Amino acid sequence: MELGLDVRTVGSHSVVDVKGEIDVYTAPKLREKLIELVSQGSYDVVVNLEGVDFLDSTGLGVLVGALKRVKAHDGSLSLVCTQDKILKIFKITGLTKVFPIHGSVEEAAGGAA
Amino acid sequence: MATVSLSIPPRSQYVGVVRLAISSLARAAGLDEEAVDDLKIAVSEACTNAVESNEEAGSDDPISIEWTDEENLVRVEIGDRRQSVEPSEAGVDTQGFSTRLTMSLALLESLVDHFELSPREGGGMFTRLVLERSPSNAT
Repeated sequence: MELGLDVRTVGSHSVVDVKGEIDVYTAPKLREKLIELVSQGSYDVVVNLEGVDFLDSTGLGVLVGALKRVKAHDGSLSLVCTQDKILKIFKITGLTKVFPIHGSVEEAAGGAA
Repeated sequence: MATVSLSIPPRSQYVGVVRLAISSLARAAGLDEEAVDDLKIAVSEACTNAVESNEEAGSDDPISIEWTDEENLVRVEIGDRRQSVEPSEAGVDTQGFSTRLTMSLALLESLVDHFELSPREGGGMFTRLVLERSPSNAT
């Protein structure tokens, strides 16, 4: 099971396009990538979950951890997600109140600048 | 009624294998895609908690997964070697964010019709997940 992680820059934001399943096995790879970005000075981060087939509490934990890191630098972490099955996970855990969730990368990178 | 038993080493790379097996079984049992997704997440949560619990308890015992398909419901029972029912790290962290375990329990409670933890003979716990067949899911 592979987790695809591609990083690109859109405006002033670092966008991480995630592909595959985020679970207890793959989540550490996402955590490392996000820590690396923040340590390189990227404090406005967009995590694009459109290519994600599966997300559970380990993935949520990583996203919350990354949010804390960017907040410590007055940064932002927003998500791109339109899939109902993934949005449901954020709703159940109350994280729709914690993360700005957008319909597209352009919206996420433009809105939270 | 059909029963399928699986056993995995208590390590994170095997949780995905259980998800694959459970989704195939759930589809074959005639559950709709939303129910398959819900069960997949719930089983993944239960297995993740079991893997972490075994690690905490220093146990290398396998984690057991038993799938049962009955007329009105499907049931998945996950057995581990955790030492206590009360998850020690549940709650919120110093900044007010829910811990992973708190989010996991919220998902377990919400995604299946019945979620229960009970002691396992010889030490450890069983996590029991039940999804009732809705009229549209009935075979």
